[in-house]
Amino acid sequence: MSSIRVNPYPMPDILDALEKLQQQQDTATLELSTGSTINKPSDNPAGAAEQVMVQESSSLNDTYQQSISSITGQLSTAQSTLSSVVTALQRAISLGTEGANGTLSDSDRADLSEEVSGIQSQLVSLANTSYQGQYIFAGTANTQPFVVDSQSASGVSYNGNQGTNSVAIGAGYSVQVNLPGSQVFSQPGADVFQAINDLINALNTNTNIGSTVSEVSDALNNVSAQQAFFGNALNQTQAQQTYLGTEKVDLSQEQNAISAADVSIVASQVSSDSTALNATLSAIADIPQNSLFDYLSKM
Amino acid sequence: MSSLFGTLAIATGALGAEQGAMDATTNNVANVNTPDYCRQQPVLSENDAIQVAGLSYGTGVSLQQLQSIRDPVLQLRIEEETQQQGQLNAYLTAMQQAQTQFTTSSSDIGTEINNFFSSLSQLATDPTNLSLRQGVLTAAGDMTQAFNNAADNLQQQQSNLDLSVVQDVQQVNVLTGQIATLNNQISQLQGTNQDASSLLDQRDVLIGQLSGLIDVSTIPEDNSVALTTSSGTPLVVGGQSFALSTQVNSAGLHDIYSQSTDITSELTSGAMAGLIQARDQTIPGLESNLDTLAAGLSNSLNAANTGGYDQNGDPYGGFDLNGNPGGNLFVAPPASGQGAAAAMTIAITDPRLIAASSDPNSPGSNGNVANLSAVQSDTVINGQTPSNFYSNIVFDVGNDVSNSSAELSASQAILNQLQDQRSSISGVSLNEEAANMVQFQNAFDAAAQVVTTINDLLYTVINMGTLTG
Repeated sequence: MSSIRVNPYPMPDILDALEKLQQQQDTATLELSTGSTINKPSDNPAGAAEQVMVQESSSLNDTYQQSISSITGQLSTAQSTLSSVVTALQRAISLGTEGANGTLSDSDRADLSEEVSGIQSQLVSLANTSYQGQYIFAGTANTQPFVVDSQSASGVSYNGNQGTNSVAIGAGYSVQVNLPGSQVFSQPGADVFQAINDLINALNTNTNIGSTVSEVSDALNNVSAQQAFFGNALNQTQAQQTYLGTEKVDLSQEQNAISAADVSIVASQVSSDSTALNATLSAIADIPQNSLFDYLSKM
Repeated sequence: MSSLFGTLAIATGALGAEQGAMDATTNNVANVNTPDYCRQQPVLSENDAIQVAGLSYGTGVSLQQLQSIRDPVLQLRIEEETQQQGQLNAYLTAMQQAQTQFTTSSSDIGTEINNFFSSLSQLATDPTNLSLRQGVLTAAGDMTQAFNNAADNLQQQQSNLDLSVVQDVQQVNVLTGQIATLNNQISQLQGTNQDASSLLDQRDVLIGQLSGLIDVSTIPEDNSVALTTSSGTPLVVGGQSFALSTQVNSAGLHDIYSQSTDITSELTSGAMAGLIQARDQTIPGLESNLDTLAAGLSNSLNAANTGGYDQNGDPYGGFDLNGNPGGNLFVAPPASGQGAAAAMTIAITDPRLIAASSDPNSPGSNGNVANLSAVQSDTVINGQTPSNFYSNIVFDVGNDVSNSSAELSASQAILNQLQDQRSSISGVSLNEEAANMVQFQNAFDAAAQVVTTINDLLYTVINMGTLTG
């Protein structure tokens, strides 16, 4: 016999082909169910490594956004507190202006002085405002910053410190989230409590009322300027929040580009695999079960 | 001229030869599903002619032997490819398990590192908040747990691979012992010119199994075969087998010895080579990378924490908290870094000991959090950021698995092709056997018919002088 013999056992090859198809289909099904083409590092080593870095960026982005929402409360509280301080100082100025009018009696001025004293208490209380248990004008100290103190010339002493805290809201981008109370309320030449104390004394003694009113006015200007600091910080964080939102979208697009399974492609892969699988199975069924032996017995 | 009895002898000789040929067919059909069975072919040959009175008369047919159809060179190629496949398969299986440690999940190392730094950033927004401080400690604990788990699992896997190596050595010894015994039997049979084909088939099966485990070079010898590793360590020579043994090395793993020589690093293919590659190189490499990462993180974060001030000293909640200089956040890793991932542990349980403050008298300061957070983006691990370093580990593992997997597919395809080739040469085709059977049966029938005819002739001759009328 010189004819070329063919492999009489096709089954191992067919089973191997079946196994490969089955494996392809399993992979495609997994991709469909997870929505990702990277389900283990070997699926796409470079993509898996890139994914680690994108996830870090994404986690940082989440963190910055979370930090922004945490500090926004504190910044807003500071801003609205200072706007109450400004309103109170404006009221003090108009009371002082009224007191400077020479036609007023002593008792009228005593009434005005009493109202300014009320404003003084209100200001101490505003300067001791806290947010989530933390005094917002104490610097980085954890103590009540302003305490009524008869020994002090201004009637109030500052127990906080000069520390400030900054919070990262972006890569290499931090915002300062507090101002020391001394900078807001007891700046030399613009000391809120000194000015109010002087105004009370001036009203009581009917001396230099006009100059103490302008002292209060200086303090008010300083507080307004500090208020603008918080407004700016809030604007900055809002702008950054918008940027982070955009970046988050970019990052998820990047993530998708690396690993997202294209559902329509994968689904058609599953169906073509399944067609191939069926074809192979029916090919197996079509392999003749008989050999020449079956026909010999009928002879 | 020849005699009638001479003719009868030719016919009965033919009956015997055809029956012998049918035996080959029968044996082939019987072994149609026997793995690695080589089909037998009857070798018929014409007997020497005799000269009678100047005429040459044929003396019939005889069955020389039942020859097994095999291709020794192809068999060698199959053994080589089987070794290659054994190695890749063992290595790939090991690395597929290893890469699960580096698959992105809710608790893999990369995610836990991110979570830890995220918790630090939250602390920056409210440094005296005890629950945020506790959040940092919890995230740090989760991060150390992720390192511990990955390192423990790799360690466990290494032990399992070591166990497989020891089992494979035992299996190799069983196989080489059996092959040596077969060598003996084959050379005895062949020495007396007997058919040893069934033993040869058995030996091929055993050598095939051995090839799956260890790199084998087959050296054919007279009536026998010698087996060595590719670097020349004898496994079987004639009827003698050389058992391999194992010895525990300084790393607590088993080295493979032949007599008193360590041959562990000489094995280049077969499952044992794949197991050893994963056990001695790849997995220790991964462990060492994890150790570098864990030690680098611990040291950098400890340095940052030590540079700040904690909140201890006075009861928490009072207004006059004094900060003390910060201590270690994590238990200091071993100086060599070895085992750092498995041993990574958080050093503090009191959240007030996190040194968030940069000022000893300002517990509300968050100045040092920035230093702690900076570790995330600083190139503190071999010139890379922690995430960058980790992503390179992920790439290396994935790439290794992906390459091995491609190599294994290629090797499988080659092996399939070789086995197809082997089957096309040595496999039993039922159609062919049926055709042979018809052929042998017809020849047998014809020879039997000749015997009947000679019987008639002899009868005629015997009754030649007898009147029958």
